[in-house]
Amino acid sequence: MKWIPNFNSSNSLRVIFVIAVFILLFLSSIAYKHNQDLNESSKLVMHTYEINIQLERLMSAIKDAETGQRGYIITRNARFLTPYIYSRDKVNTSFIALKKLTADNKPQQENLQKLFKLITQRFVSFENCLKYSDPKTYDKRKLDNHMFGGRILMENIRFKVDEMNDIEKTYLKKRLKIYDAEISLSPLFSVSLFLVALSFILLSYRQISRDFERLKVFNKKLLISSGLISESESIGKFSTWQWDLDSDKIDFSDNQFRLLGLEPKSFAPNKATLLKYVHPDDKESVAKAIDGIVDKKDLPFVYYKIVRPDFEVRYFKTTGKLVTDQQGSKILLGINFDITDEHLLNIELQERNKELEKSNKELASFNHVASHDLQEPLRKIQTFISRVSDADKEVMSESGKNYITKIESSAKRMRVLIDDLLLFSRTNTTKKEFIKVSLSELLSNAESELAEIIEEKKAVIRVSKLPKLSVIPYQVEQLFINLIGNSLKYSQPDIEPEISISCEKVNSSDYPEILEQSIKKFHKITFTDNGMGFDPQFKETIFILFQRLHSKTDYPGTGIGLAICKKIVENHKGHIIADSTLGKGSIFTVFLPD
Amino acid sequence: MQKNALHILLADDDEDDRLFFKDAFEEIKIQTNVSFVHDGMQLMDHLMNPDNKLPDILFLDLNMPKKTGKECLIEIKKTDHLKDIIIAIYSTSSSEEDIEDTFIQGANIYIKKPSDFNTLKKIINEVVTVNWHYHTSGLNRDNFLLRLK
Repeated sequence: MKWIPNFNSSNSLRVIFVIAVFILLFLSSIAYKHNQDLNESSKLVMHTYEINIQLERLMSAIKDAETGQRGYIITRNARFLTPYIYSRDKVNTSFIALKKLTADNKPQQENLQKLFKLITQRFVSFENCLKYSDPKTYDKRKLDNHMFGGRILMENIRFKVDEMNDIEKTYLKKRLKIYDAEISLSPLFSVSLFLVALSFILLSYRQISRDFERLKVFNKKLLISSGLISESESIGKFSTWQWDLDSDKIDFSDNQFRLLGLEPKSFAPNKATLLKYVHPDDKESVAKAIDGIVDKKDLPFVYYKIVRPDFEVRYFKTTGKLVTDQQGSKILLGINFDITDEHLLNIELQERNKELEKSNKELASFNHVASHDLQEPLRKIQTFISRVSDADKEVMSESGKNYITKIESSAKRMRVLIDDLLLFSRTNTTKKEFIKVSLSELLSNAESELAEIIEEKKAVIRVSKLPKLSVIPYQVEQLFINLIGNSLKYSQPDIEPEISISCEKVNSSDYPEILEQSIKKFHKITFTDNGMGFDPQFKETIFILFQRLHSKTDYPGTGIGLAICKKIVENHKGHIIADSTLGKGSIFTVFLPD
Repeated sequence: MQKNALHILLADDDEDDRLFFKDAFEEIKIQTNVSFVHDGMQLMDHLMNPDNKLPDILFLDLNMPKKTGKECLIEIKKTDHLKDIIIAIYSTSSSEEDIEDTFIQGANIYIKKPSDFNTLKKIINEVVTVNWHYHTSGLNRDNFLLRLK
């Protein structure tokens, strides 16, 4: 179906979208990971920092104890011993904190264990120093030894603390380095990925807006064309309906409702409503046709009547065709025509035709009466007169013989009249069978029909070549007989008649007033004679039935011959004209279509 | 030349025409036996009666009461022992339709009733003296309607 525009971009658009979404998902997962790493590293730094602080606290507590002890030893003032007494608790607190902080680190635990041992030894050394510095138990050598030992222990503790700090620092450094490596990889990559995603989105945005523009254009066109269709439906008195065979849904056009005499969309159509307004006479046949659609997938013309809600009967013609739309669903497209006007006109025409046929029949029976019943008594009059023998006439009076002659000529004239009238009516009523024949042949037939009078008058007939035309042969032959016969009859008494017949092809446009313009070419056949001619003022009237220019005593005739000619030419959609100069001759011109 | 008298039968309802016909046969110098029937029914009865001698030539009027000439023609041509009778249609009408119909039904010649007694004699003479075997074999639509030279 061509009328649905094809938006090819929709598939590629989908792909672009999916890619862009995946890129964005990827980017956000990377960002999340970064965040996690950052969090981890800050926690790690905090951890190291805390261990460091606790170790420093431990150190300073021991140092405080050392300083307090020294002050006491020198001054023997018990106030100097206060930091020493508290330092033990401080050391323990820090120690517990450190134990917790290094719980996940085995080497540090071991270090801490060693440190604890060293610190315990240091406090033992403190006790010893206090003991040997006491004046009661004073021992200079032992005091010096313990003081010195304490100093070494102190060095060891400091060393151990530094070692632990170093381990933490190294560990921190290592971890930070790993995070750094992870993070340093990404910025360029993620920026470029982001740019790719962005450009994809921009691209699809452009495509979408372009499609949107096209859609707008098509939408406008669709609106216009649907408007035009519904307009033309109401002008043309037709309507459309669509039957989706898959979903069994039926849609009526607005005009369908109007044709049914209803407001548009006044009910939801379905298979049953298709039949609802159909005239009871036609319901069965329409239902059959509808069933036929489903089988044959096609609906030939169906003619039926419908009854509108106001009981007005309208005549409908319906046809349909099965179409498959772009989505592959099968839709039966139906068209209804309201043919009421045509139907009524048709009925009227049929009636007129019947009347015409009747009057034609009457005419034919009149012909029969004329040809048979009127001729019968006439023939008998003539035969009986012919039976009056010469011997009978001998014994008759002069006047009696005269009357017999007059009866004879009247009867003869009656016969000619009847024959001519019959001929005239037959040019109308007999079947008109057009056959392609040579006019030359018909003309020579006409000449042989007139051979007697031609010989008698010593007439000369000159004929140029005549064409082959599609004509009613016996009528054209009659036409030639009448025209030549006419020329022979009205020849000049002392001059041998000369008739020349010529033919040429002419364009109908050259004779706009007399020729049928829908036919382009005509054959113009001219009959020229040197007869007595007639007054040109009669050139129209001589073709009228029973019109005579001469008295019947001078020139016997019925006044039908030329009327027959006119009729014959008209039967051929041609034209005949006459012209003449009195005393010089006449020209009869016949136009016959090519 | 005929050895025996020709048997002629005229089927015509018109008394005057039968009279003309009879007179004409009397005046021509050919030995003939002329008999008459007045309508189509009588004609068929006559022909079907085995006591009657079959005519050599049957002159058949078309416009007859009870049974028309055309009906008789069809019936005769359908009947085995009658179909070889020479049939001359003898009618006032000269309509194309009648001529065409009777030709198709197998009549041998079509005569339009003349309006002159001498012409009638000439026609009868012509029809009676024609060699029908020869004429029938060369019969066509053009020479079916009798035209006197």
